[in-house]
Amino acid sequence: MSVEEEIKEIVAGIVHVDKSILTREGSLRKDIKADSLDIVQALVAVEDKFDIEIPDEEAQKFQNFGDFVDYVERRVAEKEKV
Amino acid sequence: MPLKGKLTLVTGSGRGIGRAIALKLASQGSDIIVNFFRRREAAEKTAKDIEALGVKAEVIRANVGDPAKLDEMFDTIATKFGHLDILINNAASGVGRSVLDVDIKAWDWTMNINARAFLLCAQRAAKLMEGRGGKMVSITSLGSSFVLPTYAVVGISKAALEALTRYLAIELAPKGICVNAVAASAVETEALKFYIREGLMKDIRQATPAGRMVIPEDVANVVAFLCSEEAFMIRGQTIIVDGGTSVALFMAAGKEER
Repeated sequence: MSVEEEIKEIVAGIVHVDKSILTREGSLRKDIKADSLDIVQALVAVEDKFDIEIPDEEAQKFQNFGDFVDYVERRVAEKEKV
Repeated sequence: MPLKGKLTLVTGSGRGIGRAIALKLASQGSDIIVNFFRRREAAEKTAKDIEALGVKAEVIRANVGDPAKLDEMFDTIATKFGHLDILINNAASGVGRSVLDVDIKAWDWTMNINARAFLLCAQRAAKLMEGRGGKMVSITSLGSSFVLPTYAVVGISKAALEALTRYLAIELAPKGICVNAVAASAVETEALKFYIREGLMKDIRQATPAGRMVIPEDVANVVAFLCSEEAFMIRGQTIIVDGGTSVALFMAAGKEER
């Protein structure tokens, strides 16, 4: 499963939505109505899943779901290089 | 150096109150385990500052709201050190909502990190303190006894934490373990600045009889006292550190008459 698919599974499970409604352009807050706790839980679950850290300052820069996925993919690639 | 040779775990000690407590106890000679959850950089900085005081620091990442991660942290402590002298239950989180807006997820998240974590930490820590005595101090807040805006679920979790402190104090007394709590009013930390606007900070400052807001070091000083042998006969208590705010409830209202 791709990183994007894995993140979709995690987010959909936390916010209780069908993962098909998660698009790269969509906003977690506006489009799938995730609240601040959902977002923290999603960040934590993704951190645990991929064994990476996502600082709050970076998370606050995500404009949409795609930014979130791109960031995680970058971090995972960096980790694999090391 | 009253705590020389002791080993202390401070949960949530990367920043704010936890960091101040970690540094205070380190300045008294204790080696410190710095637990953090989300900000490694801050935790590493705390550890570096602890080591600069001439004691050892160990950084362990764990979400104390997750029993499996909490167990992993204690497994590491048990394997690496084999004992623990002081447990400071400081890590906290919460969701700012009115009572009617608190859903099960917000309730569980807050209760698990703020109250259940102390239960699980105390159970593991008590075993590591076996035969050597120890101290446990929890950090709570005035929201356990007083109603603060949108603080419902956090206040309730802190009330549970204080009740747990009393029960643990009695159950662990025969093992020579002292258990107490420190309740602070609004403490001037980065986290608080993030959550409340400057106008409200000013109101809190003005409503505090001691003339300024509580700072992390005020809390750390009382925690250090509770960890000292001088506090041996204090058990199951919640010591309030609020500059007099809670005993001067109506003073602000009657100010113009004085």
